[in-house]
Amino acid sequence: MKKFWRCHVCNDVHYGVNPPEVCPTCLVKKAYMEISSEEAKKISGRSESTVDKVDFRKAIEKFSEGNQFQVNPDKKRVETLLEGIFNCEKNHGMKYCPCRLITKNFEDDLKLVCPCNFRIHETYKNKEDGECWCGLFIRRQ
Amino acid sequence: MNKLLMFHGRECPHCIAMMPHVDRLEKETGVEIERLEVWHNEKNADLMRAYREIIEPKCGGQLRTPTFMNTETNDILCGEIKYEELEDWATK
Ligand code: SF4
Ligand SMILES: [Zn+2]
Repeated sequence: MKKFWRCHVCNDVHYGVNPPEVCPTCLVKKAYMEISSEEAKKISGRSESTVDKVDFRKAIEKFSEGNQFQVNPDKKRVETLLEGIFNCEKNHGMKYCPCRLITKNFEDDLKLVCPCNFRIHETYKNKEDGECWCGLFIRRQ
Repeated sequence: MNKLLMFHGRECPHCIAMMPHVDRLEKETGVEIERLEVWHNEKNADLMRAYREIIEPKCGGQLRTPTFMNTETNDILCGEIKYEELEDWATK
């Protein structure tokens, strides 16, 4: 079961089964202690942040940097997909994949939040010209 | 309801790529395929979800778009496919 953890040095909050060994912000070792979800909400709720289409575009570039995949150079395709991803967020609450339908089971549908874990999908894994199911990410050439 | 359905998403590149094939198929063979958009129409989405048990085993365990479904035979195709394959499915 995933829990919330707080760095006692810098107040970073982590959500996961285990706390990080080293705090990624202050780099202190073994700095995390379990906290309640209410506390976690209070800490993270202090800063408002939004991710618009331009931010998301930059984020997927950054995410693919140094990875074995890249954002598809087909600009039109990417634009269509981003349109879909953002419409999903507007209409269905999360940035869901525009090429697969949600089941309405929140846990299951987390697998459809973009970017999904496409590295294990048959359209990508062990394929030289692999791509994510929608073709937003393709294997780096 | 028509017996041949196409569940598609407005911003799904696979669906966008398949649309001209569907248009051509209807024109050339006279069959009709009911196009049901699922990301902007909850009724269509619920219908697709209602067919989960039939669709998922044939589409990688997911409700992928596009999904072509014959509601009489439960014949399913999903993703981008060749025109000939679509024609076979529709005229079988
Ligand atoms: S298949 Fe591609 S577009 Fe769809 S959620 Fe996964 S990464 Fe995003
Ligand atoms: Zn810290």
